[in-house]
Amino acid sequence: MAQMPVRPTDPASAAPAAPDDRGPGRRVRRRRENLAGYVFLSPWLLGLIGITAIPMLISLYLSFTDYSPLIPLTEANWIGLDNYRRMFTADQSYWHAVQVTVTFALVAVPLKLAAALAVAMLLNRTMRGISVFRGLFYLPSLLGGSVALAIVWVSMFNRDGAFNSFLALFGIEGLPWVNDPDWALSTLILLAVWQFGAPMVIFLAGLKQVPVELYEAASVDGASGWRKFVHITLPMLSPVIFFNLVLETINGFQGFTSAFVLSNGTGGPVDSTLMYTLNLYIAGFVDLDMGYASAMAWVFLLVIGAITVLLFNTGRFWVHYSDNEER
Amino acid sequence: MEPITRGITPAQRTVPPLSRRRLLAAALTVPLLLGAAACGGDDEGGSGGKTELSIYWWGAEKRAELTDQALALYTQKNPDVTFKKTWQGNQGYFDKLATLTAGGNAPDIFQIDDNYISEYAGRGVTLDLTEYTGNGKLDVSKFPESLLKYGEVDGKLAGIAMGENTQGLVYDKTLLSKNKLPEPKTGMSWEEFIDWAANVSKTANLPGTQDASAVYQALWVYLRQGGKDLYAGKQLGFDEADITKWFALWKGARDKGATPTPDVIHEGNASDVSKQLVATGKAGTSWVWANQMPELKKSTDSELGVIAYPGDPSAQWARASMYFSAFRGSKHKDVAVDVINFLANDPEAGKILGTDRGLPPNLDVRKQVADTVSDPNMKQTIAVQDELGKKFGPNPPTVPPQGHSKVRSELVRVAEEVVYGRQTPEQGAASFVTAAKAAIGQS
Amino acid sequence: MRQGAVMRQGAVMRQGAVTVTRGQALRLGALLLILAVVLYPLVWMVGTSFKSPQEIVNNIGLIPRTFTPGNFSDGWNKFDVGFGRFFVNSALVSLMTVVGNSVSCLLAAYALGRLRFRLRGVWFALMIGTLLLPGHVLIIPQYILFRSLGWVGGDWPYLPLLVPQFLATEAFFVFLIVQFMRGIPRELDEAAVIDGASPYSIFRHVILPLSRPALVTTAIFSFIWTWNDFFRQLVFLSDLKDYTAPVALTLFIDSSSESAVGPMFAMSLLSLIPVFLFFIAFQRLLVEGINTSGLKG
Repeated sequence: MAQMPVRPTDPASAAPAAPDDRGPGRRVRRRRENLAGYVFLSPWLLGLIGITAIPMLISLYLSFTDYSPLIPLTEANWIGLDNYRRMFTADQSYWHAVQVTVTFALVAVPLKLAAALAVAMLLNRTMRGISVFRGLFYLPSLLGGSVALAIVWVSMFNRDGAFNSFLALFGIEGLPWVNDPDWALSTLILLAVWQFGAPMVIFLAGLKQVPVELYEAASVDGASGWRKFVHITLPMLSPVIFFNLVLETINGFQGFTSAFVLSNGTGGPVDSTLMYTLNLYIAGFVDLDMGYASAMAWVFLLVIGAITVLLFNTGRFWVHYSDNEER
Repeated sequence: MEPITRGITPAQRTVPPLSRRRLLAAALTVPLLLGAAACGGDDEGGSGGKTELSIYWWGAEKRAELTDQALALYTQKNPDVTFKKTWQGNQGYFDKLATLTAGGNAPDIFQIDDNYISEYAGRGVTLDLTEYTGNGKLDVSKFPESLLKYGEVDGKLAGIAMGENTQGLVYDKTLLSKNKLPEPKTGMSWEEFIDWAANVSKTANLPGTQDASAVYQALWVYLRQGGKDLYAGKQLGFDEADITKWFALWKGARDKGATPTPDVIHEGNASDVSKQLVATGKAGTSWVWANQMPELKKSTDSELGVIAYPGDPSAQWARASMYFSAFRGSKHKDVAVDVINFLANDPEAGKILGTDRGLPPNLDVRKQVADTVSDPNMKQTIAVQDELGKKFGPNPPTVPPQGHSKVRSELVRVAEEVVYGRQTPEQGAASFVTAAKAAIGQS
Repeated sequence: MRQGAVMRQGAVMRQGAVTVTRGQALRLGALLLILAVVLYPLVWMVGTSFKSPQEIVNNIGLIPRTFTPGNFSDGWNKFDVGFGRFFVNSALVSLMTVVGNSVSCLLAAYALGRLRFRLRGVWFALMIGTLLLPGHVLIIPQYILFRSLGWVGGDWPYLPLLVPQFLATEAFFVFLIVQFMRGIPRELDEAAVIDGASPYSIFRHVILPLSRPALVTTAIFSFIWTWNDFFRQLVFLSDLKDYTAPVALTLFIDSSSESAVGPMFAMSLLSLIPVFLFFIAFQRLLVEGINTSGLKG
C-alpha cells in the first residue's frame, strides 16, 4: 500500500533535544510533558492494542481451532496443529497459492524496478517537459490498484480484447490470455509493472543526488556509459534501490485486487492466479473456515517477516551508504 | 541522498521482545471482551399479543414483491403477526446470515440452500421441524416424499423446501433447427449424447455442448446411474475409479470436438446463470437446473429446450432449490413454523409466489399454479419437470454434508486441470478424491 | 539538493553542446513511445465506455464510431441500488478516513516526534513494526471482533472501516508526519517553553500550523488509497445499499454478458475520475512534494 517515497531516519539520532534541563520548573515540566506524551499518543495506543495486538492474539488462538463464523468464539474446538498440518501436507491449493505468489513477486518486482530505473534515467537526462512526463508516468501508480483498472486490464487481455486485436494487425492469432492458466498470471504481472511510476519517482530523486563530478571524472578516464552505470549509478543509488526493493516486495506478496477481479474471486483458471491473500480470503470468507485461514495468516506473517529480515541482511553486502554514516 | 533504511534496522531489532510482552499482557483481556460481546443482543419483538417475526431471504426485486404480498396475506389472516423483512442479492447473503447467526440474532425464518443447510443444522442453528410435522402444525402430506427427505440433516428436519427443481440440460433449439439437426432426447446414453454434440460442432460450427466434467450435479447423476452416489452419509459415495471414468468420458468428448476450447469451458464453469454458454451463444447446450431455463432465456434470442441429463433419468431426483428454515433460538417458534406452513401449503399464497423459487413443493398448489402460468418457457419447464418427476427412482440422495460447497469448488479446479491437459484423468481423479475428503472432513 | 540539481543541469548542457542533440531526440522519442504504451489502457478505457456492444467487439480503434452515452445511464441503473449511492458511500468512507487519519496520526506523530516521555522509544519501534505488518493478517480477527461488537452490517456499516483510521493504525502516515515534524526547528518550541507554553499550546500554536504540508499529503493519500481500496470494503460490507464503488463494480464481473461491457467500463471510468482530479490538482505535491517537503529529515 505504501507507495510513497519515504526516508526514515534513526529515531535515536533525531530524539528531541530536551528543553533547558536546568532551572526551577524542570521536574514539573518533565512530568507535564510525560503526561502530554501519553495524552497525544492515546488514540494510537488504543489502536495498537485493540486493532492490532489483540486481533493478532485472537488470530493466533484461532489458528489452533476449527472456528467457523456461525458459532460464538467460545465454542470453537481446539484442534492443535491440524490446520498447519493440513496446510503443509494435504491442501493442494495452498501450495499452488504459495507458488503463484512467489512467482508473482520474483518476476514482477525486478521487472517493475528495472522499468522504473530505466525510465528514471531517461528522464533524468531530459531537460524539457520532465515534470509532465514524470506526472504522466506516475498516473498508473495512482489508478492501477483499483478494481476499475483491473476490470479494464482483464478486458484488454481477453480472447477478443484489445491486445489480441493489436496482435491481429500483424497477423498473429492471440491467446485467451486471462483464461489460460499458463498466461493469466503474466497479465497480472504486467499490470504490476505498468505501475512503475512510484518507484520511478523515488529513483529520480535519488539520481539527482549523485554528484555530477563522479561522472565527469569517469568521462575523463574514458569510461563507457555502461561502466559509468555499473560503477557509479548503481552503487550510488543502492540505498534507493534497496528501499524500493523492500517496499515493492512486501507489496508484491500482498497482491489481491487484480487477482480477485481476473478470476472473479476464485483464483482460477486452475489456481493460476491464486495469490496468497486471495486464498486466505476464500478460506475465511467463502469456505467459512476461519481457523484455517488464521493459520494461513500467521504463516504469511512469519514468512513476510523472514523475507524482510533476509532483505535487510543481504542489503549489508550491496547497499552502499555515504562514508560518514555510521552502521 | 540520505541512506534510506537507517531508521528501520534498529527498530526491527527491538520490536519482537517488546511486542511479545505487550501482547501477552493484552491477551488476558481478550476472553472477557469477547465473551461479553457474544451474548448480547436479545430484544423482545412485539408486545401485548402482537408478534413481530424477522424473515430473511436472498433474491431479486421480483421475489421481494411476491414474498411481501404473501406475507401481507398472512398478516391479513393473522392480524397479530407482523414481519420484519430483510432481503438482498445473492452476493453477501450467507456472509450476513453468518454474522447474524453468530451474534445470536438469527432471523426467526431464513432462506437457505443445500450448500449450507448441513452446516447450519450441524451447528445447531436450525429448528428441528420433525415435531411439527408429527403434530400436524406443519403439513407436508402433499409434498413429494423425496423433496421432504432432502431437507433432513442427521435425522432432523432442518428446512422446508420452498421450490423443487431437478437437473436440466438446456439446448439451443434455434441453432439446431437452423442447421437441420435433431434435438437431443431424454434417455440418450452419455456416449450417444457426446456423439450428437460432436455432430453439432461439425455441422453448426459451434461447440455442441459445454464440457460437464466440472459440473457437480452432472457427476452426481452419472454416479447414481452407476449405482454410486456423491455422498454416502458423511463420506464420499464414490472412489477414484468412478472419477477416472468420468474425466475420461469428457476427455473423449473434447477429443471428438464435442466441446469448446478449454478457456471457453472455463468461462462456462462460472456459477452465474448469465455466463452459461448456451446463453452466451458459445455452445449448443449447458448443464443447469431445469427451473433456470426461463432465466437463461432472458440472455439469449434463441429458443431453448430442456431435457434430462443423459443416461437413465430415474437417477435424477427432486431437489429442493431452496428452503425456509426456522431459528432454533427464536422466541416465536410456533408462529414461525405456522408461517412456513402457510407459505408452503396455502393455495392463495402459492398463487402469489408462483414458481419464483422453483416448482411449488405442495403438489396440489403446483398443479393449480401450473394451470395459470402464461410464460411459455416456464410452461415448458413445468411440463418437463412434471414428466421427469414421474420417472424419479425410489432412493433419492440425502442432503449433502458440511463442506459440500468446498467439494464443488474442488471439482471445478481439478476438472479444469484435466481440461487444460495439466493432469490425466487418473491424476485428476486421485487429487479430487483427496481434496473432496479433506473438504468434508473424512479421514 | 536543489543546488545539486542545478549543477547537474549545467553538466548536461555542457555535455550536450559537445555531443549531439540526436541523443536528446532519441531519448525524447523513447520516452514518447513508452508514454504511449503506458497511457494506452487509459485512453482505450475512455473510448470503450462510449462504444456500443457491437463496436466493443468489432471496432479496435480508440474512438467509437457512434458515441453511446447510454452506457452511463445503463450502468448507473444496473442494480437495485443506483450507482450514485455507491459513489456517495465511497466518498463518505474516503472523506471520513481523511479526517480520521489526519487527526489521529497528527496527534501520535506529535507525541512520537516532539515530546519526551517514558517508553517513547519503545512505542516508536512498535510503530515502525506495524508499518511493515501486512493488513491481510489481521482481517479475520478484526472481522470477528467488529462483528461481535455489532459493527459488521449494523446500523453504522462503516464503523469497521473507519474506527481503525481514527486510531492511527495507518502507521505510514504517523511515520510521515513524524519525519516532517523533525524538520521543524527545535528553537521554536524551546522559545515557547521559555514563555511558559504547555505542550498543548505548543502543539496548537507552533506545530499544527507548521505541519500543514504533511497533513495535506496525508489527506490526499488517505483519500486516494481509501477510494481505491477493495479488500477491507469487500470483507466488511455486506448490504448492497452500503457497497462502495469498488465493491459494486465487482458485481458487473458476475454478470458480464456481452451487453454489460459498455456499462461496466462506463462505471469504471466514473469511479476513477475523483482520483484523476486529485492527480490534476495536486500533481506537484503528489510527485514532488513528498520527496522534498514532506520528508525532509
